[in-house]
Amino acid sequence: MAKKVSFDYDLVVIGSGAGGSAAATLAARAGKKVAIIEADTFGGDSPNWSDVPTKALLHAAQLYDEARHGARFGLRSSTLGYNYPSLRAWKELAVKRTGAGGNRQYYEKEGITTFVGVAHFLTPHEISVNRRHLTGAHFLIATGSHWVAPNIQGLKDVSYLTPRTLLEAMRPPKSLYIIGAGTIGVEIAQLMAIFGTKVYLAEIASRLLPNEDEEVGVLLERVLKEQKGVTSLTQTRTLAVVKDGIGKRVTYNRGGVEKSIKVDEVLIATGRTPVVDLGLENAAVAYTPKGIAVNNHLQTSARHIFAAGDVLGRNSHTHTALLESQVAAHNLIHPKSKINPDYTATSHLTFTHPGIASVGLSEDDCLKRDLPINKAVAPLNIIARSNTSDFRDGFVKIITDKKGVILGATIVAPHASEMIHELALAVKFGLTASDVAGTPHAFLSWSEAVRVAAARLAN
Amino acid sequence: MAGKAIDIIKREGKRPSEQFQRDKLHASIRAACLSVRSPEGVAESTATQVCDAVIIWLDTKPEVTSADVRRKATESLESFHPEAAYLYKHHRFVI
Repeated sequence: MAKKVSFDYDLVVIGSGAGGSAAATLAARAGKKVAIIEADTFGGDSPNWSDVPTKALLHAAQLYDEARHGARFGLRSSTLGYNYPSLRAWKELAVKRTGAGGNRQYYEKEGITTFVGVAHFLTPHEISVNRRHLTGAHFLIATGSHWVAPNIQGLKDVSYLTPRTLLEAMRPPKSLYIIGAGTIGVEIAQLMAIFGTKVYLAEIASRLLPNEDEEVGVLLERVLKEQKGVTSLTQTRTLAVVKDGIGKRVTYNRGGVEKSIKVDEVLIATGRTPVVDLGLENAAVAYTPKGIAVNNHLQTSARHIFAAGDVLGRNSHTHTALLESQVAAHNLIHPKSKINPDYTATSHLTFTHPGIASVGLSEDDCLKRDLPINKAVAPLNIIARSNTSDFRDGFVKIITDKKGVILGATIVAPHASEMIHELALAVKFGLTASDVAGTPHAFLSWSEAVRVAAARLAN
Repeated sequence: MAGKAIDIIKREGKRPSEQFQRDKLHASIRAACLSVRSPEGVAESTATQVCDAVIIWLDTKPEVTSADVRRKATESLESFHPEAAYLYKHHRFVI
């Protein structure tokens, strides 16, 4: 009989963010011997450097903005102001309160051994962390991703901001040129504009939020321009950045015309690249600079090594990484009954005001797949709540197949991130527009717009 | 030499580890360039640039395998001298 090989750990998790933490905890609770390795701050990017701090600041900014415009409700707000160091302190408090940020003790209480350092595969079953060699029966790679600067002339020679470094700034810049108008780009544009920064938002695509439906980008561009004074530079290619005094001069090409502007700071929000520099070749894990290739069970080309989260190179959210982490944990705890991650009802959120949320297929997705669809749009101004809140910029859009089964939906409204889950449930369980329209929706809730849109498709 | 000690694990640990030596890498890159008839000055400057790139990559890593160093050096050498890079990558099998 062959001798059974023993390893230091049943599971070694590389990365303690959303992609790694759930799997480590689930495996430890299932009685597995687990180690977790973190190169930066325990908890990963979301609670420490992206989602939580950004949303904490956005919440404060939106309160400030609503109060500033409260005169129409009879509120006196002429003396309203803000103190940026106090806002930063609030952001730090929000990060601390999540409990995930920097919380190494949490893992140790769960019986998980923790290591701080950069992990590097030496062989398929062995990893090095600060010269310490760990062996594992299974591995989960959840190293996430980092912001990457596009190839723009002169950018490497000037100091530029990323969404992570911007949060550490002592005060908002007077003017800011943002390259990339995806989710993070527009969130930061609105945040900084509320605090008085003159924002230029450059996007190579023909609209803001190019991954959402066209009307979303068009509406948000109008809202940002009219209410926040943001200059949207769609169809714009940024050509060069050079230092100009204490600021920077940015040269861009828009519609064949070359222009330049002087700004205080430049922020890069064009995209993130997976962290794959961890000796994957030594472990025979197939990957490209765009991410690690996995099968439906999230196994890499080396079957005992799983991967989850941003390192897969997909356009991922924290909740997607958590889902993948749970699936990876299940598959390594129960190898005989493996499951696949189900992405059909994963919502995509943008925390602007109005908020943007979408689930399932977009209209563009349906066009690309040549799917016959019906669609209905309910503008917010037709429901009673828009009158009592004096807010009209937004809509609910629902897409169904010819039988009325809901395929996807987009919401642009205050509290869109809460409203979308009703439609996510409909997408996941194949409900029809009639099912949603027939469900009572409370009077004076924003969700009435969902009922109206569904009712237009119900017959 | 790099600013800090970096351990190189040889042949998946089948041979004793040793510290990273810039001179050794430099000599091997230079030899690969000379083998494809590069002028001596070109070989020398290419080797210097490749060594610099490898050392930058090693900055955050206290321990890597010899295969990692070879792969990283090949990646860098490819942009300067593709022919030498091919020889450097495959010389064990070629010889």
